[in-house]
Amino acid sequence: MATAASSTPDYFTRKVSTGRIRPTLSGIQNASSPHTPFNRSLSSFYNSPSSGFRNDDENNVVIELGSRFMRIGMAGEALPRCIMSFGPDDHHRVGDYRQWMPGYNTRRKRKRGEEWGQDHELWRNDVRELDLGLVEDKLERAARKADGEVLMLDDRKKRLTVILASVIARPLLSVTLSTLFNIFQAPSITILPSPIACAASSGLRSALVLDIGWAESTATAIYEYREICQRRSVRAARTISEAMAELLDEECTAQAKGPIEVSFEEAEEVLTRLAWCKGNGDDRREDESQDAPQTILLPLPPSEPSTTLEINFSRFSEPAETAFFGENGDISSYDAHDLSLSRLLYNALLALPVDVRKVCMARIVITGGVSNIPGIKARVIEELKLLVKCRGWDPIRNYGKATKRANSNPRERNDNTAVRLESNVTESSDTDDGTAEESNELHQPAVAAAFVPQEQDPILERLAERAAKQAPPTVEGRIRAVETLGAWAGGSLMAALRIKGVVEVERESFLQHGLAGASKEKEVSSKAAQRQSLGPGARSAGAERASWTLGIWA
Amino acid sequence: MAQVFPYTYYSCPCVESSSTKPNAVQSAPQEAAPFLEDEEENTFDPRSPRANFSLYPIEHLLYCTDCHQIRCPRCMVEEVVCWYCPNCLFEVPSSTVRSDGNRCTRNCYNCPICTSILSISSLEKPTEGLTPNDAASDAAKAPGGPYFLSCPFCQWSSLEIGIQFEKHFNLTSQLQKIIRGDTHRLGSVTDLASPRGEEMEGEIQGRASVASVEDTAPLPIQGDTETLFTNLYNFYRAQLSELSDANPYSLSSDYSFASPSSITRLMNLYGSGGRTKKDRPKPIREAAEFSEGQKVSNPLSEKENIDRIRSVGWEGTASVEQRLQQCREDVGFVDELRPLATLLRTKKSKRCKICRQILSRPESKVSTNRYKIKLLALNNIPKITMRSLNAQPAQHPSFPMQATAPGSDEASTLKPLVPTHFLLTITNPLFDSIKVTLATPSTTPGCVKSKVTILCPQFDVGANTDVWDEALSSATDRSSKRQSQMLSAGPDGGSLTGIQAEAGKVWERGRNWTSIVVEVAPGSLPDSIGHVTLGDDAQGDGGAALDEDEDVLEIPIFVRLEYETEAGGDDGGAAHARKEDAGKEKREEAFWAVLGVGRIAG
Repeated sequence: MATAASSTPDYFTRKVSTGRIRPTLSGIQNASSPHTPFNRSLSSFYNSPSSGFRNDDENNVVIELGSRFMRIGMAGEALPRCIMSFGPDDHHRVGDYRQWMPGYNTRRKRKRGEEWGQDHELWRNDVRELDLGLVEDKLERAARKADGEVLMLDDRKKRLTVILASVIARPLLSVTLSTLFNIFQAPSITILPSPIACAASSGLRSALVLDIGWAESTATAIYEYREICQRRSVRAARTISEAMAELLDEECTAQAKGPIEVSFEEAEEVLTRLAWCKGNGDDRREDESQDAPQTILLPLPPSEPSTTLEINFSRFSEPAETAFFGENGDISSYDAHDLSLSRLLYNALLALPVDVRKVCMARIVITGGVSNIPGIKARVIEELKLLVKCRGWDPIRNYGKATKRANSNPRERNDNTAVRLESNVTESSDTDDGTAEESNELHQPAVAAAFVPQEQDPILERLAERAAKQAPPTVEGRIRAVETLGAWAGGSLMAALRIKGVVEVERESFLQHGLAGASKEKEVSSKAAQRQSLGPGARSAGAERASWTLGIWA
Repeated sequence: MAQVFPYTYYSCPCVESSSTKPNAVQSAPQEAAPFLEDEEENTFDPRSPRANFSLYPIEHLLYCTDCHQIRCPRCMVEEVVCWYCPNCLFEVPSSTVRSDGNRCTRNCYNCPICTSILSISSLEKPTEGLTPNDAASDAAKAPGGPYFLSCPFCQWSSLEIGIQFEKHFNLTSQLQKIIRGDTHRLGSVTDLASPRGEEMEGEIQGRASVASVEDTAPLPIQGDTETLFTNLYNFYRAQLSELSDANPYSLSSDYSFASPSSITRLMNLYGSGGRTKKDRPKPIREAAEFSEGQKVSNPLSEKENIDRIRSVGWEGTASVEQRLQQCREDVGFVDELRPLATLLRTKKSKRCKICRQILSRPESKVSTNRYKIKLLALNNIPKITMRSLNAQPAQHPSFPMQATAPGSDEASTLKPLVPTHFLLTITNPLFDSIKVTLATPSTTPGCVKSKVTILCPQFDVGANTDVWDEALSSATDRSSKRQSQMLSAGPDGGSLTGIQAEAGKVWERGRNWTSIVVEVAPGSLPDSIGHVTLGDDAQGDGGAALDEDEDVLEIPIFVRLEYETEAGGDDGGAAHARKEDAGKEKREEAFWAVLGVGRIAG
């Protein structure tokens, strides 16, 4: 951001100085002078100007699709109008009202060969085992229900914005698009990646978005609204929900209520209502001490004479502990996809270039349904801080024989990195790593020289001054978490502000060619299209969107 | 199934066409598709998970008389005729729906705990409960003083969350005011769908005066989703308008030949020299403070929440369902739930997706339930019913209601491996006699394999002529026939099971209906886990290896009809209707139906 801002000096001042254009013109163009508002324009080439004001004439629908829930609502609203789930109760036949029958047993056994919570999923990214037709059916029913019973839109044109995870299997993308085109009859669909929508709804341009999803947690680094790095871990909502079920099972047997297999719904209910997450280290002890044997009474509807379980409150923090943070043993023994959340964040940060890292580390956004469990966000950040404190930004985890050397002066190394980050001096990170012990001693004053006030650089100073004038000071170089309103709200914002997405799929061309019709280029930017259409090739304006791209989904 | 036992589901043929995969997708394994590859024919599998989405009771289906096909909700396009509140039955104009959202803006509220309708009561005389309608009508008599909303079902009242109203009308705006002013005390987030739209509209109108909007916005209270969103929206809009002001080449503003930006741009293109890349727009900056929509996480608030959970316990936390109803996932506690304005309902007209013919159109007045157009499948598709041959009293096919539930246990429980006869009755609603061909796989698909034999797969059903014919004649006709059959069954107890159903013969025939016999030998249930070896490992406890409803015997039947009818001038789908002599044409229709027979005893 800093680079972009500083490298674009004011266009008009530069023009004036070169003097190639008459100063009067530039005076007219000046932002402060009175002028025709630019946003009053035509929506199409042949319409009357008034049509520009009737932009509200379409229904601006925003849909966020995850593997468990679909949020759907109108752009410009803070909350979605409804959240559809994909549970088995939503998939009965039409006219099958058994879930409303008085004796209906909500306890459902898991079907043969089904994984935990599988019948509550819309899809999974592993499409080898997936019946795409079933996905289509589920999605179709949910979308039709939302459209018909909640949105209840009139027959105005619909504009659809769909928020999807930034990595999604192509068949799923294709099914999603065709179903939504089919139901909403929209002329085009804009697709937004959910991390970017999250960043937008927290007011940031660059962020590190940790999305604790259902099947996996992803840490996505975003720099200037662009995804630049993604790390993922299988520790996600499914893990914690299973851990919660285990805990409840255990308590049931312990309290001699009989071995009841806790169903998915019950586990989820307890998870959303009672789960919490401990703070790091010391306040855990504090919790124990102040925590008098305080227990929670948990009604247990399934057991025939309805009973209650009495569970210690601190136990409800265990699932989060084991599911998200538990790291007993050596980290190297862990699977690369089984990282704890804090380590996931750390790895994502570590993979970033220094300049990006310093921006992203101050903009950590934690989102996803499970992130609402109180304590999780604080814990992740705490642990991340701890990791950074212990390890610095050293990509090498284990120096092997050189361990002693590398760890000999961790304090100094940390200081070093900190200084490097603050002063923004690009210094190769291995200056004092490959040297011998004595030379380290020798280098000590050299390191200290970093603390010596820098020489005054008039050019840099002026640049910084100018940058400071334009933008408020940005926070960088320290770890900080920023709240987000969620991906849906971000999409709603973007759609309400009519920001053109990179991935905009036209109905006709999609129905004709499917996803194969997308151009292979990752960025057919709207910029290029606009230039062409207004340039000498204005005649080809009709074919302007002839080529569309799938952007990051390509 | 929740339906009482002998039931019939019709499969809409649209699932076949829609299940064609979008091109460019490599075909995933389609094992679970409802149409199993069975040599060259496709057999419908009512057990497949997809079947749930294509099966409908006949009452839910419409019929397109142009395409001559069943139309299910999937292959219809809906248009809203009118919006109304299901509680106060006031019609809501479409402009209000657009601006104020999809909820009732009058006094209708639902309980956040149990979703029943809340009533308005006065604090003065708490005994006198008034429904919103009453309150509107006899406002003069209504007791004064502060009012509150209370739930007649679960005894929840808005006093619990500290909400009371000065007036008993216009609750929506009052509630909005209360929530906005009171957020600090009440908890984190405001809600209410209805005022939202209004708010946005106001903002869009006050586009020029961004600053003033920001000033009038409520105080930035930490944790307020709505405020945060509004702040963010205003911030972005201000940034974008700055951007478009400063730079006419901005990407966000609309462009066209008439806008000043385009003209400048064209001037540049065709005018002096080529443009260089100097005019890159200055990027909008990020939000920096709460008033701009950025909120830095506060670990302390999470700590507070933990302590709060600990103190309120299970009862004080909001359930998943309640959270979903509020559409806010960050609501944690019962006292953060707000009463929800009643969701509007609509009357919709339905069109065929293919030929756009109107299939049903209700009258637009809220209070009537009449239809202007209604093309029901019930009137165009033969009705298939099934019942056990030996358990029933004589049942009139056009009067299927019975005093005793037909799905009573003894009737719908099937003994495994004992062949049972069922009576399949096809009733013809058409004015032409039809020729019916039935087909079914010899064993039912699924884990429990039952043998099914249709004794007479081909037969005719008479036309639906004059009702009086049947009323006067057929009843006696039929009973006499049955009597004779019972007699012919012989002296051995006269049990109905003794009657031999002959293969290839119709069992009974009426004016517009025909019954045939279907023999079913239910398969045996696997009695333990080990017996079920279908490739996937059976899990579960205590020998109950079957999934829900796997012990239900459902028979898929392929029904094919042929009939000759007058060639109507309105016939759009003449492609498959071969012209016969003198305006007669032959039509044929085919579909799958699923008959639920009963539950197999373990």
